[in-house]
Amino acid sequence: MAAAAMAALCFACGQPRDDSAIFTPAHRSAGDAARDFFGIHAKVEQPIEFPHSVHVAKGLKCTAYCHASVTKGPVAGLPSVETCMICHSAIATDRPLIQKITALEAQHLDLSWQRVYGYSAQAHVRFNHAPHIRAKVECSTCHGDIAHQTVAQRNVDLNMGFCVNCHRDRKVSNDCLTCHY
Amino acid sequence: MSHRWGMAVDLDRCTGCEACVVACHAENNIPTVGAEEAARGRAMHWIRVERYWEGEFPDARLKFRPVLCQQCSAAPCESVCPTYASHHTDEGLNAQVYNRCVGTRYCANACPYSVRFFNFFNPIWEKPLHLQLNPDVSVREVGVMEKCTFCVQRIKGAELQASEEQRELKDGEIKPACAQSCPATAIVFGDLNDPESQVSRLSKSGRGTKLLEEVGAEPNITYLQRHFDV
Amino acid sequence: MDRRDFIKLTVVTGASATLASCGNPEHQLIRFVPDDETTPGVAEIKHSICPLCRGGCGVDVRVMEADAEVVREGKTGVMRMAVAKKLEGNPAHPISQGKLCARGQASIQLTYHPDRIAHPLKRTGPRGSGQFEAITWDAAIAELVSHLDALAAAGDQKALAFLSRPRTGLRGELVAQVLAAFGAAPPITYELFGEDVLRRANLLSFGRDQLPTFDLARTRYLVSFGADFLGTWNSPVAQNAAYGLMRQGRPGVRAKFVQLEARMSQTGANADEWLPVRPGTEGVAALGIAHVMIAAKLRPASAGGRAGALIEGWAAGLPDYTPQRVEQATGISPARLERLAREFAAGEPAAAIIGGAALAHTNGLFQALAVNALNALAGSVGAPGGLTFTPQANLMNANARGRTSPRAVRELATALLSAPKPRVQLLMLDDTNPVFATPSAWRVREAFEKVPVIVSFGQFVDETSALADLILPDHSFLESWVDGMPESGAIVAVASVAAPVMKPLHQTRAMPDVLLEVARKLHKPLGAAVPWQTFDEMLHKAFASLPAPKDGDAWTAAQAQGGWWGEPAAATKAEAADAHQRPAAAAEPRFDGAPNEYPFHFLPYASTQFMDGSTAHLPWLQEMPDPLTSGMWSSWIEINPKTADRLKVATGDVVEIASQHGTLRAPAYVSPGIAPDVVAMPVGQGHQTFTRFASGRGENPVRILAPLSDTETGALAWAATRIKLTRVGGPDGSLVLFGTSMPEHPEYGR
Repeated sequence: MAAAAMAALCFACGQPRDDSAIFTPAHRSAGDAARDFFGIHAKVEQPIEFPHSVHVAKGLKCTAYCHASVTKGPVAGLPSVETCMICHSAIATDRPLIQKITALEAQHLDLSWQRVYGYSAQAHVRFNHAPHIRAKVECSTCHGDIAHQTVAQRNVDLNMGFCVNCHRDRKVSNDCLTCHY
Repeated sequence: MSHRWGMAVDLDRCTGCEACVVACHAENNIPTVGAEEAARGRAMHWIRVERYWEGEFPDARLKFRPVLCQQCSAAPCESVCPTYASHHTDEGLNAQVYNRCVGTRYCANACPYSVRFFNFFNPIWEKPLHLQLNPDVSVREVGVMEKCTFCVQRIKGAELQASEEQRELKDGEIKPACAQSCPATAIVFGDLNDPESQVSRLSKSGRGTKLLEEVGAEPNITYLQRHFDV
Repeated sequence: MDRRDFIKLTVVTGASATLASCGNPEHQLIRFVPDDETTPGVAEIKHSICPLCRGGCGVDVRVMEADAEVVREGKTGVMRMAVAKKLEGNPAHPISQGKLCARGQASIQLTYHPDRIAHPLKRTGPRGSGQFEAITWDAAIAELVSHLDALAAAGDQKALAFLSRPRTGLRGELVAQVLAAFGAAPPITYELFGEDVLRRANLLSFGRDQLPTFDLARTRYLVSFGADFLGTWNSPVAQNAAYGLMRQGRPGVRAKFVQLEARMSQTGANADEWLPVRPGTEGVAALGIAHVMIAAKLRPASAGGRAGALIEGWAAGLPDYTPQRVEQATGISPARLERLAREFAAGEPAAAIIGGAALAHTNGLFQALAVNALNALAGSVGAPGGLTFTPQANLMNANARGRTSPRAVRELATALLSAPKPRVQLLMLDDTNPVFATPSAWRVREAFEKVPVIVSFGQFVDETSALADLILPDHSFLESWVDGMPESGAIVAVASVAAPVMKPLHQTRAMPDVLLEVARKLHKPLGAAVPWQTFDEMLHKAFASLPAPKDGDAWTAAQAQGGWWGEPAAATKAEAADAHQRPAAAAEPRFDGAPNEYPFHFLPYASTQFMDGSTAHLPWLQEMPDPLTSGMWSSWIEINPKTADRLKVATGDVVEIASQHGTLRAPAYVSPGIAPDVVAMPVGQGHQTFTRFASGRGENPVRILAPLSDTETGALAWAATRIKLTRVGGPDGSLVLFGTSMPEHPEYGR
């Protein structure tokens, strides 16, 4: 059981780890709190530069494999590397990125996708995709033109006004409790 | 017709077991504050069981009463909130919108039932206790007020389900955590706008009373008086 | 509580189980490919069984996806897992009927507790110091095997003692079979609030060695002698559910409920009439009622049948139990007794319950026999609205295995202390904490320290498992195959069974499976005597013997609904009356401590939050306000207001109580619901070691109890101790109350 090899340093940046044994809504720093308050989203770095453009061009719909959970529940979710391997165990196996993910999966490791379209926890938004999909709102309306992006970029400014305007236009409730509880 | 959510609490069935108290904590991500903060009166029991002693030994009598947010139709907390964080919805709920709350605590001051609780500090969950947190409910941070929501997440969940299935909600389909767990079935929740609902019928009971009715907050919970057969 | 005694657990481990990122949200821990197929945000409902009391409620578990920090192949990372989020009662289960009590709701915290033992541990420091090191499962099992092999090689199989909490299912049966095949003595069970006295009484009175079930929903008159049946006694959820119906479930019909006890319990608070009665005299009160019923010709003495014949003087109409004599013993006025008796007789149906403190006396058996006879007289035995016995599914004949004598742990301790060479060489512990839950007078800790090797399967370090040399941590119940055949609470036979609802969070293993692997690895494997590879294989075999539904097999059907329930293939036969059984004469309770020196009866009681202390480590329960006092995170000592005035004690003042066997200090709580010569204290706090939430908190009243027992069964008479009380000083801040004392609004109630 000699896992002491897992030293107290971050595997990505090599800085000392914040060994926090607690979960708390508190921000890690004043800077984090300020960024959250002003809605400044940190630039996310994805584990690999996944090309949405390539996959959409091949006819893959958002809800086909990778974000299928949005048809079954409130959350779209991010795919596991096993979803990639459904196709990539056979397709494009010579490409370096494919080989990288194949190696990961062989070690039972997964890709740590970083969320792009999340809400700040302190926005207290309980967003549910289901009624939006039922209302035939296109994915691109809120998520931007992903079909022409590689990794997803937060191109649509999902501030509250954006949501409220659409709700008003479509005559859906704008009571606070519709989304915030 | 839209719904008007209400509750009936039968004090003759309630046995003071407090299953409702713990069920509520579990469902609503209510933090455990610890002995020191609890000693300062900061424990957050959205539903609590009050005890009232009468008389002296050997003729002592003890009565239990679960108290939770009464979702008042003329809520004193709503009129004092400067940011509209506390307001009344079309379905009869007293909404507490965490983002709007700036922590004046005037609402708790105004509430005659003392059912509002303030987050004086950021709550913590020693891992992995946080894995139990309900993803359908917000985790509140320091500086916001919180209270019973009639398990609004369950109401919303059921309404969404019903609308997807293109049908009406059935009476008894929505059970807040307290009502669901209560072993004696003392807590009944439902639509007061539906005269056939169980809560409507119980609300008309001869044993029905409202808590602190004279204050005029128009609470939407009917307490059915405990009977004493002596 | 002396802070110096608090054992700090220091575990040297290879990997910390709780690591986060460097603080940069973009640099996360490595992520493992998920084992589970989950849809985020969508809940699945799975079944399980709450393990916290003997009720055995079937629960529904809401399981959803979450990111958990786990260790896989020695590496720490995050993984999407299906995890339990919330427990509810299983609506189809005959015991829980869709409901769940406060403790059941809190039981989910067992799985997510930050102080769970996450991997096998081997002691490194002195015994009881809390110093352990992490070892692999292979090493742990090899070590246990070597200890067992050593015993077998020396022909010392009987030097193995297995101590656990009483269980009613196949898990207990598996342990018993493994021990029998090895050649060891049967497992010893211990439970502080064991109710063995009531079982023995039921065996004598009705031929059933079993706890009773009460059809409260159809009762019209209920008298309870000290049983906290709405709080902690017998099958609380089922009893609460029936109580709700008993009061308001029948249009125009509402049962009257009377409670007789020395201290108002949570149950007693719900009574229409609450009668204080002197400790240990509840049986006399019951026979007083019977006397009036017979004397007034409301019931013939012959209606008492077998149960009545066990009471001396029954056939003659109980001449020793006239209302005047009853008043002398119990303090109940003749007028009140007569009225009670007439109301009880007119109940139709009426039922009487006895349990808890009323049976925890030296004359406990007599008390229980008295109430059994009263039930028989009222015609409530086996009748609607009365007393019955839950049919037993008896899978694999598990129910036929005799129960351990309640004397067993005390006898074990005495034997260990008196013999120069300890008669037990290897002690195995499963889900029991006798170092905490026994009187110091029994010297259990001292006795256990003489045992050369102690192995625990505990999930947490507590006073008892802290003495272990080797800990092989069990899964929590949500991560395990669970089963149970409840002894009471339903009118059909119930055999609950459920698969794990989630994968293990830590490097723990299911105890029954560990035992089976050990059995295979012994130098002389147990072979065909223990034929199953895993516990679920045994469960499958047992359930396959049940009647199958029309479409499918019994095993699949049982898992789908959380168990099997119905009429068992063979009804349990009542045992015939023993022709040589002499009727019991009135036995007066004996108390420890002379009344002039120790003026108060001491009543420790099972707290709603912690029962016997086994759930004190759950933070929701620590913070749950006590139903009667609103106390949280505290211990307190309940005193009558007149007594408090006399001793100049106010709520919060620190008082010291002393029995002949120990002393303790705690804040006082002045309560109207307790007799002036009785002092009560909740059981549950006062753990020396029991995770960060309970360690060093409050006081344990069990510690100072006198080692008196019920004369017939040997069960600990935990209500038989007398104490003296002195005020020590003003409040020390340890009493934390959620509520304040205030009168109810004058407009309410009457």
